[in-house]
Amino acid sequence: MNLWKYLIIVWMSLVIIGGFLIQIPFIPVLEQTARNLFFHVPMWMAMYTMFLISFYHSINYLRKANWSDDIKAQAAAQTGFIFGICGLMTGSLWARFTWGTWWTFAEPKMNLAALALMIYVAYFMLRSAFDEPKKRARITAVYNIFAVSTIPFLLYVVPRQLTSLHPGADGNPAFSEITAAELRFILYPAMVGFIALSCWVYNITYRAYRVKYISEQTIRNPL
Amino acid sequence: MYIIQLLFIVSNMFQDSTEIIPIDTLSKVYSDKWITTVNQGEGFFASFMSSNNLIFVVLGVTLIIWTVLIVYLTRVDKRITMLENQLNHSSNEA
Repeated sequence: MNLWKYLIIVWMSLVIIGGFLIQIPFIPVLEQTARNLFFHVPMWMAMYTMFLISFYHSINYLRKANWSDDIKAQAAAQTGFIFGICGLMTGSLWARFTWGTWWTFAEPKMNLAALALMIYVAYFMLRSAFDEPKKRARITAVYNIFAVSTIPFLLYVVPRQLTSLHPGADGNPAFSEITAAELRFILYPAMVGFIALSCWVYNITYRAYRVKYISEQTIRNPL
Repeated sequence: MYIIQLLFIVSNMFQDSTEIIPIDTLSKVYSDKWITTVNQGEGFFASFMSSNNLIFVVLGVTLIIWTVLIVYLTRVDKRITMLENQLNHSSNEA
């Protein structure tokens, strides 16, 4: 195991301890759940990072047609998807005890995030639909570029135009205006930590797919 | 018998005994009123989660993340074990 992975273990442990222990200002309705900022928001940041990595490798695949780029794009998309699921589930639980409902269709960010994940479900389905690796790699790379390019619209542009319960939307103050300085001491390290953690998960996923690819090749063409 | 009782208790845990007034989330935007829509309910689950200034919601959130990551890692680990077995098997044959 590389040094940076041990660093993540220490770093994330400190973030979780700090996230639970620091003094936070009293916010009505949110109360202690304001601490969810340290866990729920970084999920999405990790998802964006992974989808960007996936985007980069898909473009690289179309340029150079290296099989490893295809596998990297798949592994990154899958890791991003996992973090997106975490984000949706944590958001739903948070919503239950602050907004009063597990799910609301009045909340554009929530629904569009679910939609973004659906687009990725389609990506994985598309991948499983091809038997021939080269054809699969090329077509899914094109689809992935489309999928990533919807993310900024679904999660930044559109929610900001609509009334939303999330901060930063129309009618609500932006994140930078309402977030107390104390929360940022943990939030930014948490973002760094979770993004690093997602890189670790991505690394493991990529290696699993790589071993799978190599073993398939050796079984097909024994040395 | 015990299983049925247990199921009954568990299902009651997740039911709010006070009626939550259904919120029309499809046709009406209620973000300006959301402070008043908070109804924590009185079921065991709801009252436990909303005790101590909602701190258990934060615990729930961390546990969700932890569970999803662990389940995912276990699955990847199993896949790698399977591949290793396959590789060992094919190298034994050669």
